[in-house]
Amino acid sequence: MDAVLSTMMIFWVLVFAFYVLVHRGLWIFTDVARGMGLFMLEKALGPGIELVEGRENSAARSWIIQSALWLFFGATLTFEGLWLAHEPSALHSLSAWGYNPTSASLSSAGEYATLYGAVGMAMIGASLHIMPRLLGTELASERNATLVSFLWSLATFVLVIGAHDPSVLGAPVLVIGTTLQTLAFAAILINHLLTLANRTRAIALPAWLIIIGLVSDPLALLANYIAGGFETGVGQWLMVHMIGGTFFFATIAGVVLYTASVATGNALWSRTLVGATLVGSMIAINPLGAIDGSMAVGMLGLSAAELAPSMDERIVASFLMAFALIPVLAFSGNTLVTIRGEDASVENSDSAGIPEINLGAMMLIPLTIGALFIQGDTLSGVAELSGMATTLGKMGIWLILVPLAFGSALALYPAISGRHLASQNRARWAFWLSAGGAAFGLTLTLMSDVIGMSLLSAGVLDPSSLAHDLSVTGSVMFYGAVIGAILHCLNMVSGLFRGTIVAEASATASSIKADSYSLASPTSVRRILAAGAGMDTEVVPVGESDEAGSATKL
Amino acid sequence: MSSDDESLGGFLQGEQEPSASWAILVLGLVASLTFLTLFSILYPGQNLPVLSDFETFGNLTGGIWFFILGAIFGFFSIIATMITEATRE
Repeated sequence: MDAVLSTMMIFWVLVFAFYVLVHRGLWIFTDVARGMGLFMLEKALGPGIELVEGRENSAARSWIIQSALWLFFGATLTFEGLWLAHEPSALHSLSAWGYNPTSASLSSAGEYATLYGAVGMAMIGASLHIMPRLLGTELASERNATLVSFLWSLATFVLVIGAHDPSVLGAPVLVIGTTLQTLAFAAILINHLLTLANRTRAIALPAWLIIIGLVSDPLALLANYIAGGFETGVGQWLMVHMIGGTFFFATIAGVVLYTASVATGNALWSRTLVGATLVGSMIAINPLGAIDGSMAVGMLGLSAAELAPSMDERIVASFLMAFALIPVLAFSGNTLVTIRGEDASVENSDSAGIPEINLGAMMLIPLTIGALFIQGDTLSGVAELSGMATTLGKMGIWLILVPLAFGSALALYPAISGRHLASQNRARWAFWLSAGGAAFGLTLTLMSDVIGMSLLSAGVLDPSSLAHDLSVTGSVMFYGAVIGAILHCLNMVSGLFRGTIVAEASATASSIKADSYSLASPTSVRRILAAGAGMDTEVVPVGESDEAGSATKL
Repeated sequence: MSSDDESLGGFLQGEQEPSASWAILVLGLVASLTFLTLFSILYPGQNLPVLSDFETFGNLTGGIWFFILGAIFGFFSIIATMITEATRE
């Protein structure tokens, strides 16, 4: 049996075992495990746990604010990476300080900062708010979740350093970063599992997506380890895509589906499609991501192996990657229809975050199809499209993961912080700058890549001036994402202190609603709502008269 | 808003002020420009003390530095906002 199928089968068995354990518990060990888990989260940390507060939503708030900061760093590092791609000596003057960044090292650092800092922290922060609500209980330990947010940030910082120089004074920096991150991740996972154990109602489907998405990260690694994938190129490639398809895709899907419903007030469109998203994301291999396993190699301290799949492995991997379109289409369709509802919510300008979710859900399908072709090209050994892989990977991060994760964080911000964002106008500006900068900047960079590939295949050695110009313009346009991140960050930080309190906003909003609405002629509910009517507005039919009118006597 | 006694001839006197973070940023910008202007008048053609001794600042060539300075400005805006919002009465 080939390595891909055997690894995936082990993974499916492990996920199914987890599913059974959630329902059945750990037999007589359930109470012991619960008590030990709680002890590890709080008491075992001694006085350290007293450093943070344990109020409701304090953990989610801490994770999300830090994710905004990482979004800024991720955007800046990615911008610098794009710039150095066309001007390698642009930051040469920093060598006086012993810092010699290259385009590759900055891009890699930007990926770590964005994936684990911005996306990961926004996703986990939102999940810490969502899970207790879906399960009808409280988070097992707000304090621990708040505390480990700083550990996660430290781990991301170490990973960003490691992306520049994997070995500092002989120490494997990336492995140290991964170890710190594993500690933080284990604490979050135990916290979620304890919350799950305290549930008072049935587990809703978005909660399943979140918890299985989170637990799939270690399970994917375990499956690869059992199947011996750590030493092979195929195994290393598979690890990257299994974690991308489960930890990132499934968890974000759960967060976004919950947010799409809560933020717009529309019911989640289809339970069947959520189920298809859940099962499909576990069975399939998500094609989004790198064309090699370098990230897994670096983070786990493995020795890199060449990606040389057998014919059976190519067929199985290609089939499972094509199968990923089912959960992708199911998730995207479900999100878009839920957001649109009856075509009223998207026009609500107060819903910061919803435009980001809309963008991410729309871009998911074309970019997944593009990634599918590139991965198929890589697995087949042709590698004609590999020149586009890096930019397409960046598009996946900046046009899918960041909008979905950060959009959810923005939409849930009032519920988490108790205040609205400082300025809805600034949130709109930030969206257009981020989305426009990332979309146009990376599209131009992709065009530059395509020109470079064409010249390479034609055997032309002279670099194209058009490709260079497109590359320059692309990097300059991507700067919009940096400014957008700054505006988002300022908006969220100011909102914590000066944002309108949610209860006050509701009172203000209700004051402009009409108590009664006179219905003189047939009209749509949309028009009635647009006139200021609310759910409690009394609609009063007014009789019409066909009698001829006359002058009003004064 | 002011009381009715102070509203004369349709003129209303507001009581809000710009946020402290913006005040600090503007003061910093004005102070920097003032320093640079004075230095160029008092010591024309000479390098800036201390700063010009660093290799980095002596070779700020290439367009990327304009963008990086913008990002640094944004970063310090975030820090200034955090500090001033937290200490605001």
